[in-house]
Amino acid sequence: MPSVSTGHALDLEKFLKSLKGQPLEASVNSLISLLKRRQIKGSEPCAVATAHILLQVVARSKWHDVDSLLINVSRTGRKLVDAQPNELVIGNIVRRVLGLIRDEASEDRGDTADESASDAPTPTDIVPPTSISQQWSSKRFDSANSVAPPARPPIVSSYSSINPPKSLFHLLSTSPPADGDVSPFRNSGSSTPTWRGNSGQIHALRSEVIDGIEEIKDEISQVDDQIAASAEVQIHPGDLVLVHQPSTTVERFILRAAQKRKFTVLIAMAPPKRHSSTETQHTTFRKKLSAAGITVVNVMNGGLMAYMSRVNKVIIGARAIVATGGVVADAGSAAIARAAKEQGAAVVVLSGVYKLSPESPFDESSLIEWGDSSTFVSFADGPLVCGAEIRTALTELIPPELVDTYITNLGTHSRDHLSSLISDHYKREDADFHIWEGALP
Amino acid sequence: MSHKGKNSASSAKGKKPAKSGAESKGEDVLQAVVLADSFQDRFKPFTVEKPRCLLPLANTPLIEYTLEFLAMNGVQEVYIYCGAHTDQVEDYISHSRWASSSKSCPFSVLQFVRVADARSVGDVLRDMDKRSLVDGDFLLVHGDLVSNLILDGALAAHRKRRETSAANIMTMVLHSGGPADHRTKTNGITPVFVVDTKTQRCLHYDEMNPLQSDHYLSMDPLIAEELSTEFEIRADLIDAQIDICTPEVLALWSESFDYELPRRNFLHGVLKDWELNGKMIYAEIFEDGYAARASNLQMYDAISRDVLGRWTFPFIPENNIMPKQTYKKHSNNVVIETGASHAADAKLQNSVIGTNSSIGSGSRIVNSIIGTGCKIGANVTLENSFIWNNTTVGDGTAISQSILAGDVVIGKGCTIPTGSLISYGVHISDSVSLSIAAVLSTVTSTGKQVTKDTKLLGPDGNAAPFFDPEDDELDDEDPSRLQKSLIYSLANYNLSTSSISTFASDVDSDDDNDSNFLATDTAHSNRSRLSSFASDDSAGKISFHTDAVHGLLDALRADSGDFDSAKLEFMGLRLANNASDAMMRKAVATAFTRRAVELVTPEHGGLDASKAADRAFTACKGASKFVNEVGVGGGESAQVEFILALQRALQHYSKGQEQSKAATLLPAMLQQLYALDILEEEGILGWWADARAVEGESMAALKEKCRVLVEWLENASEEDDDDDDDDDDSD
Repeated sequence: MPSVSTGHALDLEKFLKSLKGQPLEASVNSLISLLKRRQIKGSEPCAVATAHILLQVVARSKWHDVDSLLINVSRTGRKLVDAQPNELVIGNIVRRVLGLIRDEASEDRGDTADESASDAPTPTDIVPPTSISQQWSSKRFDSANSVAPPARPPIVSSYSSINPPKSLFHLLSTSPPADGDVSPFRNSGSSTPTWRGNSGQIHALRSEVIDGIEEIKDEISQVDDQIAASAEVQIHPGDLVLVHQPSTTVERFILRAAQKRKFTVLIAMAPPKRHSSTETQHTTFRKKLSAAGITVVNVMNGGLMAYMSRVNKVIIGARAIVATGGVVADAGSAAIARAAKEQGAAVVVLSGVYKLSPESPFDESSLIEWGDSSTFVSFADGPLVCGAEIRTALTELIPPELVDTYITNLGTHSRDHLSSLISDHYKREDADFHIWEGALP
Repeated sequence: MSHKGKNSASSAKGKKPAKSGAESKGEDVLQAVVLADSFQDRFKPFTVEKPRCLLPLANTPLIEYTLEFLAMNGVQEVYIYCGAHTDQVEDYISHSRWASSSKSCPFSVLQFVRVADARSVGDVLRDMDKRSLVDGDFLLVHGDLVSNLILDGALAAHRKRRETSAANIMTMVLHSGGPADHRTKTNGITPVFVVDTKTQRCLHYDEMNPLQSDHYLSMDPLIAEELSTEFEIRADLIDAQIDICTPEVLALWSESFDYELPRRNFLHGVLKDWELNGKMIYAEIFEDGYAARASNLQMYDAISRDVLGRWTFPFIPENNIMPKQTYKKHSNNVVIETGASHAADAKLQNSVIGTNSSIGSGSRIVNSIIGTGCKIGANVTLENSFIWNNTTVGDGTAISQSILAGDVVIGKGCTIPTGSLISYGVHISDSVSLSIAAVLSTVTSTGKQVTKDTKLLGPDGNAAPFFDPEDDELDDEDPSRLQKSLIYSLANYNLSTSSISTFASDVDSDDDNDSNFLATDTAHSNRSRLSSFASDDSAGKISFHTDAVHGLLDALRADSGDFDSAKLEFMGLRLANNASDAMMRKAVATAFTRRAVELVTPEHGGLDASKAADRAFTACKGASKFVNEVGVGGGESAQVEFILALQRALQHYSKGQEQSKAATLLPAMLQQLYALDILEEEGILGWWADARAVEGESMAALKEKCRVLVEWLENASEEDDDDDDDDDDSD
């Protein structure tokens, strides 16, 4: 009886364990199912799962040149994004990996560039040493404190003037379909003959990309710590800090500040849910805080506005940040941010850089994740079930103008700064990877 | 990718059990048996052409929900019994992502089980037992299950119990349905579970329905005495028939060759014979989550609404559970798949629209589900309806709360009223207005082409109203009748007037309803005692009453023979339980009344009242003496009490069957007792004047029947001794 305590139902942990034992395609499909069934949810688990599965794609799928690898990754990525379109981090991680591959490839391929360029000028062939890398390093220093920068390989961006979608499309349309069912012969004589059979180079590229993905995984796991490093700077003695349904990131942030500062924390509780699991979660947080000598006050959402005039800072953990600076956060935070703005309290958003998305959806309501109706109403309540339409929003979008400061693992940023963060981390040609993939036959 | 040998080996679906696949598994592999055929025909006429588990619910076949549920719970090995339309189900599954040859199958084994000429669920499970496919705990579910429950907790609890004792064989997963009316509770048949509050052991199971003649649940009094001191009787539970079973369960099915239904036969039977088999079954009652079976059209309707209401989350269209689905949520809770189009001025609300469907201008779609490839014309009104794939609805047609299956063509300007079921491929001409709910099909229940009813459906009509010949064979009281239509209605049924009591409804009839509901079969007269069911004292009283009545009845039924042994037994019981005179009187009165009532029923010859009374009291030697000594045994007051007891007992029966006949039994019995010199005229007249005899309507009605007798007695007494006593108030 080994599994008396552990259940059978699947979750992130079980999924990661199962990765080794099953074929790649099965893993991808099982992750898609898990995302669709919301058995993996929340931005961090989604990001971790995506990084893991893409690592498997790089390591185990069949590819013999950079282009087919890019296709493999973006195809898998698109499936994942479609499975859970509301979790922007999935797309972010896919873009990061795509960018990583392009970088590594352009480094390796510098000498062979002219051959393939004649046939299909891929964006990776052009290596303009633009000012981006300088921007990167300068930003590293102007961030408020010396956060250890994520150990990424230096970006040699292909952020260039060439028209990437066109060349990409051309590239993809001449390429074989992704994954294992590719016949190795179909590609012979196409755009990248020099890469075929050059197993040494492929091997090197593979291991470098895998290293890069491992670094992304490390980055995700270190985000909370790195964000917490800014805590002392942000929270001043005597502050009255309001947190809304604190995520672990926010909890770590507050606890770090509590080591040095004396302040008061208001916790905006989740609305009275039927399951009280969040309640217990917050109690451990409260205990830790009071152990550190911090005054903690629990406030129900409804009574919150009365306190707002006294609050100095509102700290919100983001689920994702869109390109405009709008923040996808737990339902209820938008009202708090609005109230804080009216009362002049600073709104601080905590988020890992990996949650920052280059997407900026036209229809903002499409970002909102709607949950299970039984969150607030019991299914056993017949009249209510039959007579009322019940909608439970899990997330909502905080408009960018309500947010004062964004704190990421790279430091403190203003809204205007976000666009340069985005261009640092994502390549323009990958921005719409899920759309151009979809346009293919 | 590298395909595991085990997968491909077991993918060979066939009649032979997989040799290596199933047997060498460790304990922690979760197995599931899916019964994709329910051996019912409540989805007719649709199931004539397609199996139930492939019917679309919110544009996703039912079996998908079931398999998703299993995958979600980490089930590894799945055995599917297909039954009706086996080829269609197997074909569907082997071409889906669930096929074990497919790389995306989350199950390590997915095997079809074929059982030759199985006629019930029982046959299938007995066959499963013979093959010994399952060797550990397994989930037994039906192919029409929609659920999002995570069973980890229930599985762990089940495993713990099983380790404690091998007699703990099964855990049922139930969902609380709340006290009020609920669309997702099954109509027609109400499952009643008796569950111990502490151990969650299920003590008794029964089903009730509005057509049954008596609204009582009979429960073994030993349950209260020996099994449990604290239990709940719940009629509110939503039973999705998810069972966590040990292989023992299959063995038990094998032992009982006549069990057919998992609940009404198996569960009821196993629980009833707990003393014999020593098995224990538990009930895990969930408050959260969702679980229901689309076991009939009404449930199909309810579950579809639950899907629209997001109760089945994450199994909602918007989450695109099936591959290739591309639903997106829009405003007004309309979920539209990519590729569907609708006119800008069409009013859509709370609906689902599949790909390649189009909706014309000015149409109004409310609370409806439209499949893929449908053409909805202009100015169509669609309310609470389900339209499956590739159906065309002409301009200006109005449809409310109906199901239109695939490839149906409805002409322009038609009216389809509430409750209609229109099966595959039916064509209806323009401007046809059906006045009452119609069930239309192009084939008969045996699958043959029908003769077109062009009178009803217009010149282009190719279908006819559907009749199921088996309907006529059903017993009038068979509750499955109630579940055959889309709309649940009792309007056409001749229901007995006694209260249809559930915990939910507040029907105030003449007596206290709650105890009515609890009352055991034999407890006719004294009902209040049942409210204090739990205390040992009253449990003893019930037991005395039940045993005594049964003993006497058996003796009476024997007709001939000596009554002395019955009398001895009765007195023994009396001493053992320290029963009072009143209790004895009640038991005697009940027993004789029941016998008399039995005799007037057609099964026992349908005697008329006076003969029945005569037979009840005099057929057995010594019976009348027994009544005289034990039942009445005293003066006028005792006689009054006895008549009252008779009247009360009879009142219970007159509620049910044979109302008119049973009612005349009272005067007949009184006359008989008078003739036997057991009752004297003072006693009868005393009863006549007693206020207790007119408590409630039915008592008064019974009393009224005796007016003739009483008047005759009065006259007789005047003649006998022209006495004074004229002032007895006969009213």
